[in-house]
Amino acid sequence: MKKIFVLLLVAGSLVYGDGWFEEGFSFGAKKAGVKPVDNKLYIEECGSCHFAYQPGLLPERSWKKLMANLEDHFQTDASLEEQDRKTLLAYLIKNSADKAHQYKRSKKIDRSIPSSQTPIAITQTPYFKHEHYEIPKRFIIQKEVRSLANCAACHTKADKGLYSESFIAIPNYGRWDDD
Amino acid sequence: MKQFILAPLLVNALFAFDFNPQMQKYMQQLTQEAKKQNSNFSGFSYSRGEQIFTSKHIGKKGKMITCTSCHGDDLTQNGKNISTGKVIEPLSPSANPKRFTKVKSVKKWLRRNFRDVYTRTGTAQEKGDVITYIVNKK
Repeated sequence: MKKIFVLLLVAGSLVYGDGWFEEGFSFGAKKAGVKPVDNKLYIEECGSCHFAYQPGLLPERSWKKLMANLEDHFQTDASLEEQDRKTLLAYLIKNSADKAHQYKRSKKIDRSIPSSQTPIAITQTPYFKHEHYEIPKRFIIQKEVRSLANCAACHTKADKGLYSESFIAIPNYGRWDDD
Repeated sequence: MKQFILAPLLVNALFAFDFNPQMQKYMQQLTQEAKKQNSNFSGFSYSRGEQIFTSKHIGKKGKMITCTSCHGDDLTQNGKNISTGKVIEPLSPSANPKRFTKVKSVKKWLRRNFRDVYTRTGTAQEKGDVITYIVNKK
């Protein structure tokens, strides 16, 4: 009986490869789809104005481009002292999506971007767009969310790098199922 | 007569905010710079600072903005970043003692925020005025 149950579980994970198993399990705990942020300076500096996006959400070339123009960072001045800028750029590069293919989301994002393109907004990457295009605009523009850039508004474990469906709660709506 | 005696005391009380040594030094630097730029300079002003903090300007995004757009009118309360919605801890040191303790951080935010609201950097006098306003506002 136990064997059958295990088999069913395995079969389930194969069939629903993009469902609730999508971020995979390791020793009972979900493995992050993107490596969580593990840099205090990054959290302090970048996370003071917005969600501290994981470095594994963009490839190296994107971070380089973004960090070269902090004076005009999405129409806001986010300039840093040069030493801090260099330290953070090094952290971003080391953990960028193109070097983090062991993390499922990083790999998918990285592979989705044509090599001729260097997006600086995660929301402009093809994989991100593909994952979010079905979401009705009214859920996005409501004041609790405001923008698709506000990951943690709906992804309740975004800070842990967990973006799977089982950790989605859209304000004033609830769970989101693709099926 | 009483008023004559009280007036200077009041002024002192207003600027008696207890900065730590690195911030005291920074305020002195701003004072010296302000004197250099304006021979009539006679100290930082709470009311000029209030004007800087609360007046509206066409900011970096091409829209009307004021410092209070993000920091709110009550500096002892949380503010909210108007672009991202992220909560900003209170600016007032009376509610948030970490504020105005690190010169590096103060310089960074003055640089960024003057550019966002005024599309230019602030002068030494303006920086000193706005700090004076924020730390003393009740």
